[in-house]
Amino acid sequence: MRCMKGAELMKKIKVLKPVLVSNQQRARENRNIFDRINCLVINIIASPGAGKTSFIKNLVTGMKKTYKILVIEGDIKGQIDSESISRLGVDVIQINTATECHLDAFMTAQVLPKIKKNYDLILVENIGNLVCPAEFDIGEDFKLAILSTPEGDDKPLKYPLLFHLARVVVINKCDLLPYVDFRPEVAKRNVRKENPRAVIFEVSSKTEQGFEKVFKYVSKEINARKKKNKH
Amino acid sequence: MHEFGVTKSLVDLCNQEAANNGIKKVHRIHLKVGRFTGFSPDSIQFYFEHLKVNTRCSSASIVFEEIPIKISCGKCHKRSVIDEPVLLCPNCGSDKIDLISGREFSVASIEGE
Repeated sequence: MRCMKGAELMKKIKVLKPVLVSNQQRARENRNIFDRINCLVINIIASPGAGKTSFIKNLVTGMKKTYKILVIEGDIKGQIDSESISRLGVDVIQINTATECHLDAFMTAQVLPKIKKNYDLILVENIGNLVCPAEFDIGEDFKLAILSTPEGDDKPLKYPLLFHLARVVVINKCDLLPYVDFRPEVAKRNVRKENPRAVIFEVSSKTEQGFEKVFKYVSKEINARKKKNKH
Repeated sequence: MHEFGVTKSLVDLCNQEAANNGIKKVHRIHLKVGRFTGFSPDSIQFYFEHLKVNTRCSSASIVFEEIPIKISCGKCHKRSVIDEPVLLCPNCGSDKIDLISGREFSVASIEGE
């Protein structure tokens, strides 16, 4: 559309592009790289202190004999979590975001050249935050949200986007249920209000309760991913 | 907080589109923001004023178009607009819901000379 404004020619250009178009493009490229590695990639998102690192350590401990696992550890600063995970005998790559409150596809892409061998499973620990990481595709197969019992059973309604987008929701710290006002049935109902198809697990990273079901699910997903990649 | 990076992407995209279409000075950016996104127009506006300086967008303003959350029910087949992102059919209560709109975050058009 064109119209004259004084001597200048005013133009209106249709753009019709998502603002995050470049992130989406980079996420697609990351996905192609993950396809070549032939591995399942899980983007793990939760608030600070919900137990992301403990959950990952349980997952690694339970599955490392069967599967080759890499952990990509996102933190604003420091390497405390990387060091504690690498003591379990799996490879860890650290991303420090400095000021950014989430990982995006570009930050993830920067560390991909460090991947020198094939893995079955890549676990990405995002920055502790229930808001920002939800919007950024990093090239993962799915998002896994962790909700810990001391946070309250209303959180899915307060942070709807993450719980809408997460294929898997893990309710963590179930060993604390006798001491906190958290109603698992209400929490599950609230998750399903945002995401009727969510796969929900109840675990305690402290006592390891509930992890067998998680191992089984992740194994199934790893195998399904490899099968899909073959075709 | 994440609106800083997002607004940077917005300014980059608009500058790129302006350059591709021979626009030296962008006057208006028409931005669609769905109600089921994590982006706040107020924060975008705040960062935009700083990030647009010395670019083709330096005298541009953003026209926000808020996109409602629309759902379609797989059971009663009714379409509804909902205020809160609770994905239950307001008509029959079913959770067999498809999201039709509300996740948009895109530049519809730019105007300039």
